[in-house]
Amino acid sequence: MSGRHSGEAPTHTVEGTDPRLFVQVHEPQDAAIGNRPVLLIHGFSSSSALNWEATGWVAALLGAGRRVITVDLPGHGRSAAPDDCDSYSPSRIRADLLQIVTDAGARPLMSGDSSSGLDVIGYSLGSRLAWEFGATQPELVHRLVLGGPNSADPLADFDLSAAQQHLADGTPIQDVSTAGLLRMAQLLPSNNIFALLSLVEAIKSEPFDAAEAVPHMPMLLVAGDQDERAVTLPVLASIATAAGTAVKELLIPGRNHTNVLTNRAFKQAAIEFLAP
Amino acid sequence: MAELTFPLPDLGEGLIEATVLEWLVAPGDQVERNQPLVEVETSKSAVELPSPQAGKVLRIHGEPGQSISVGQPLIVFDVPDDSAGIVGTVPKDEAPKRRVRLSAVLDED
Repeated sequence: MSGRHSGEAPTHTVEGTDPRLFVQVHEPQDAAIGNRPVLLIHGFSSSSALNWEATGWVAALLGAGRRVITVDLPGHGRSAAPDDCDSYSPSRIRADLLQIVTDAGARPLMSGDSSSGLDVIGYSLGSRLAWEFGATQPELVHRLVLGGPNSADPLADFDLSAAQQHLADGTPIQDVSTAGLLRMAQLLPSNNIFALLSLVEAIKSEPFDAAEAVPHMPMLLVAGDQDERAVTLPVLASIATAAGTAVKELLIPGRNHTNVLTNRAFKQAAIEFLAP
Repeated sequence: MAELTFPLPDLGEGLIEATVLEWLVAPGDQVERNQPLVEVETSKSAVELPSPQAGKVLRIHGEPGQSISVGQPLIVFDVPDDSAGIVGTVPKDEAPKRRVRLSAVLDED
């Protein structure tokens, strides 16, 4: 265990409740470098272990001397799956993330201090959360890397009643996107389908509106060129550019929404973009 | 020198095969332990497999796009004769968790 610790961070309640999210802080071997930490936010029906560890991201960032904070979203991975829908709302999750990174030692940006602030890398749903987190925490977030991003909100358009009907009696789901998302969620036996549907329900009440709050820190947008869920990446880029944000775009040839994650060019571009 | 073969490990979740996405090392390369070797994709996710040991790569199995079954040879290392018996045991340095690690087939004698 090279300096990794988990479950030791002080837990604070957020809005009066403990979100019971599974957080890990991964320390680089050369901790003397003192770079600002990197927060990783995984995608829908994934987990930090699948999205960031098995794909080699945590090891690559540690190798670059970065301190890494991972968190499993509510109802995902090793985090709790509360019954109430409010625990899954994007605004609630953003508040949880702010408490988590503060507990992990992230401090507001101070000019000339490369240990201050926080870099954020998101994937898919995690990119939506990172976009909003960057837009609402400008004094904390230094730079953003958004993987497999989408200017629309496939989860807000999810046909919840068709999914519930399908789970109850096998009635086929007409909507292709809904069927695909549910299939993805069901691929992993460890997924808590009802928690994931609570997340969908909460997202419907707070759908992604990229233009509503635009991050002003530099951002790197990355997707596989075969990624059908990220074809709107240029829309996000133009929204950010119109708001005066410095945007870089990277398309990875031959990769899709699942297999772009292990790509070395993606990791290398992120590490270079976030280099202090 | 002796050959030490590592098969595609059990990737969990009942998966029996994986498709090679991209090799990150080539025959002749000297690799460090835990250095990324290869990206593979299953029907559920993409995974980067770290090297179980330091050594020189002798052969790799599977072109990008090719499917490999769990247990089939993935990579062959060239190791000194006297170490072939012990390098098959990868030191455990952390608690068991969902991390895929290659382990050797010690069928050479």
